[in-house]
Amino acid sequence: MSEHDLNRRHFLKVSGAAAAVASAGVEGILAAGRAPAWAQGTKLHIVRWVDFIPEADVELKRQAPEASKALGAEVTFEFINANDLQARITAAIQSGSGADIIQMLWNWPHLYANALVDVGDVAGPIGKAQGGYYDVFEATSRVGGKWLAVPHGVVGNAVAYRRSWHQEVGAKEFPKTWDEWRDVGKKLKAKGRPVGQALGHSFGDPPTFAYPLLWDFGGAEVDKTGKKVVLNGKGAIDSVKFMQAFWKDACDEGGVAWDDTNNNRAFLAGEISATLNGASIYIVAKRQKDKQKDDKGEPLFQDIEHAALLPKGPTAQTALYVPFQHSVMKYSKNQKLAKDFLKWLHQDATYEKWFQVNEGYSVGATKKWEDHPMWSKVDKPLQVFRQAVRQARMLGYPGPASAKATEAYTKYVIVDMYAKAVQGMKAEDAVKWADGELKKIYGA
Amino acid sequence: MVIERRWKTWVFFYLPLTLFVIGTLFPFYWMFITAIRPDAELYRSWRAVNNAPFWTLQPTLAHVNDLLAKTTFPRWLWNTFFIAVVSTGISLFCGLLGGYALARLRFPMAGMLGTSIFVTYLVPPTLLFIPLADIIRSFQLGNTPWALILTYPTFLIPFCTWLLMGYFKTIPRELEECARIDGATRFGAMVRIIFPIAVPGILSAGIFAFTLSWNEFIYALVFLSSPERKTVPVGVVSELIRGDIYFWGQLMAGALLGSVPVALVYSFFVEYYVTGLTGSVKG
Amino acid sequence: MKTPLAGGAGSATGVQVALPRSRASGRSGLARALEHEQLLAAGLLAPTIILLGLFIAYPFVMGVWLSLSDTSVGNPGRFVGLQNFVKAWQDSIFRTAFGNTVFYTFWATLFKLALGMWLALLLNRHFRGKRLVRASMLLPFIIPTVLSTFAWRWMFDPTFSVLNWTLYKTGFIVTKLPFLSDGTWAMWCAIVINTWRGMPFFAITLLAGLQTINPDLHEAASLDGANAWRRFWHVTWPLLKPVTLVVVVFSVIQTFSDFQLIYVLTGGGPANSTHLVATYAYQIGVATGLLGEGAAISLFMLPVLLIVVWAQLRYLRRLEGA
Repeated sequence: MSEHDLNRRHFLKVSGAAAAVASAGVEGILAAGRAPAWAQGTKLHIVRWVDFIPEADVELKRQAPEASKALGAEVTFEFINANDLQARITAAIQSGSGADIIQMLWNWPHLYANALVDVGDVAGPIGKAQGGYYDVFEATSRVGGKWLAVPHGVVGNAVAYRRSWHQEVGAKEFPKTWDEWRDVGKKLKAKGRPVGQALGHSFGDPPTFAYPLLWDFGGAEVDKTGKKVVLNGKGAIDSVKFMQAFWKDACDEGGVAWDDTNNNRAFLAGEISATLNGASIYIVAKRQKDKQKDDKGEPLFQDIEHAALLPKGPTAQTALYVPFQHSVMKYSKNQKLAKDFLKWLHQDATYEKWFQVNEGYSVGATKKWEDHPMWSKVDKPLQVFRQAVRQARMLGYPGPASAKATEAYTKYVIVDMYAKAVQGMKAEDAVKWADGELKKIYGA
Repeated sequence: MVIERRWKTWVFFYLPLTLFVIGTLFPFYWMFITAIRPDAELYRSWRAVNNAPFWTLQPTLAHVNDLLAKTTFPRWLWNTFFIAVVSTGISLFCGLLGGYALARLRFPMAGMLGTSIFVTYLVPPTLLFIPLADIIRSFQLGNTPWALILTYPTFLIPFCTWLLMGYFKTIPRELEECARIDGATRFGAMVRIIFPIAVPGILSAGIFAFTLSWNEFIYALVFLSSPERKTVPVGVVSELIRGDIYFWGQLMAGALLGSVPVALVYSFFVEYYVTGLTGSVKG
Repeated sequence: MKTPLAGGAGSATGVQVALPRSRASGRSGLARALEHEQLLAAGLLAPTIILLGLFIAYPFVMGVWLSLSDTSVGNPGRFVGLQNFVKAWQDSIFRTAFGNTVFYTFWATLFKLALGMWLALLLNRHFRGKRLVRASMLLPFIIPTVLSTFAWRWMFDPTFSVLNWTLYKTGFIVTKLPFLSDGTWAMWCAIVINTWRGMPFFAITLLAGLQTINPDLHEAASLDGANAWRRFWHVTWPLLKPVTLVVVVFSVIQTFSDFQLIYVLTGGGPANSTHLVATYAYQIGVATGLLGEGAAISLFMLPVLLIVVWAQLRYLRRLEGA
């Protein structure tokens, strides 16, 4: 840590204490005993997605003026639809101007590697101080050994299910293996309460289901080196065959047209008995407990449970979550300021406020936050998200989460493999098609 | 006058017309109902006994209130309106001048210029927005309404030009000849004689241009960043869709408030629009 | 002053009158310049050329260059010739998207034309509330596509579709119709929405054309014993051809390069069955960051549109000449 950084931390500590009293202007500067590091009128622009939890964005907006005071520059957040992030990133990078910090989802740092600043001096210390980042971030934020993004959090997912309905068909706990789930789902579908799963072209729910299903049966897109496409094999074919049966027996077959929102609505309306989703279903049910009732007229959220992980397959029990991180853009004229802001954002006192407001919808990026007292206070169904990230894998597993893995993801190759199969294509053909697509992508 | 029997009128006229009106306007009725329906009903299962999709017994203005108070919707309305009006103005200006030149004046490359103006229509905005972002940055227009006001004419001018060109071609040349014999300049004749006659055409081109500006999405998404500068399509989508939760009530309220007022204004101009396009037909 | 426009399309009006040049001689330099045909033309076209040159020509050239390079976001590319185009052509998803686009454009345009024409004929009469009906018919065209498509999506929703509910309650169906879940159904739903959105434009434009047709022609035909259909086919349709072609050309261009509708409705799914060239190009270029390939895919639209437009313009010119 350089001397400059030490002074910076000192400055932040002091100004933090004085913040309540001193204004952002001269008094603050005098209190710290040194001039502000940035020219007047410097602005720091951060672009993030519109959070699923509105309170999280409210919290960030609330933190912005604090950050502005602490850093001596104007910090502004802009929230846009997650689907539109990439359009903005593309235009910004290509035109060489735009926001200073942009939130990167999945493994986008690999995609935009050449346009991002090395933030190892920020990410490294934070990781160390907080007990280490989850493995998934080594895959997504680290490119070629360098940290190109500062991990921020992970949106977990779990199977939300109706406890009472499952008990009615004899499942006291959530099914532990895929085959068990198929049996339970079959009974429930016969009662008009199928499992709901999206297999459409949407960026969240379909992939977070399709990839783990593939991995659980031993399938994979590429090998460890990431150079050879190995999809066409027993693992993938078995998983597709399973999916075909599972779909017909247990699922709402309209799911091929679902995007990320359909399963939320269907679950809250009592149309489906279980679905893979983030914590948003439970959180909405709880927050609108007067409006969201089940068929007995009781508040729905009391009947919702989460299974910590997707069921186990013959080979493994995996999950795919949506990690997100902040990158500093190379074209930014305020790179040092951006890094300082990120350091400020990840201070324990600041970060924990954002963390708590999420109530488990987004979890921390480091293991430290598993031990936060918040976990004992949130409702039991939300506690499953606490350690779930440890099991998470990333696109392209077991190969590196490279730009090619992203291409496979954005082309929905794996999702469509299942979609085609459940719509009638033979399992072997669907896998062969996907394999061919992957080969074109990886050039292998 | 062609005489018909009454039943024929009913079957061949009123019935189809009614079907058209219902088919065209039903989605708007649907949007209206959704906008005033309370949340509890919006999430009701389709098999629920009391599911009444076509009406609601407890209309509420809560969604409209949320839209107007909790988002910057009024601001977006104003932004979109301002941008649409100015881009339409610019496009009409260029279209008028250019249309006149192409219709009336003889000069080398007239045909080629006319065609090339039209060919620019064939370039899709989903390709253009990336190099355009570069230009916008060079001119430092990022995050200002001018980024849109100057780029919208790229797809408005070709249509306006062609429309007005056709319209001018139907106006007899004699009018200008007479004016010039009386001592008017070419330019004067154009402005004082021809343009007033072309007012219906101008109105119709204006309506088309305004609608396209109002509707545009991708340029507005990419070139504007502050929430208070956004346009209606972009703002509604980004504020009322949070990840996997749509706020249907507010969304539909936004959809209605973002279109019905425009339609009301159009109802005054639509007669001109209809007669205005008459002229361009013979182009 | 208003001059009555001659009825019937295609008739040329105006007689050339010799201009006495002497009057113009005693003017100032600027006035002289404005008199000069070529200079005036240059002046009048200057704003257009500048704006379009700056904001289309240059980006277009950049786009073409992108398509001939292997640029990806943040990485300047090298020239690779037609490699991207070849790759696209060999891409099965692209071929599906291209086929979808042709299918979508063909049927949507056909429906818009047929329904638009019918509606125009209906609106061509006098009836009470004519003004209001004409204005309200424009609503689908006015409302931003993004928003109306959301409303339609809600109506086609796999779980909550009001259409399904109605058909179910009235006993027409037993199980839900897979509006957006089945590939073929989804494409037809998209065509329906596109038709709904574009038909008003056809209707109002064709209505304008209808109003130029001299009613005497209809009378004459009906006195000769022609019924409504024959009147339409032999009198109305030939006179409407020029308008129709203009509208069809614009519509084909817009529909072929349609993006927003599919992007919002299905994102190209299920399983690529509703992907269009524009949505696929966006997915490759922006979501995957492969700008060169995305540009190449976009440009595949250009030759098709050029041919369509050229063919129609030639036909139009032939009509006018006749």
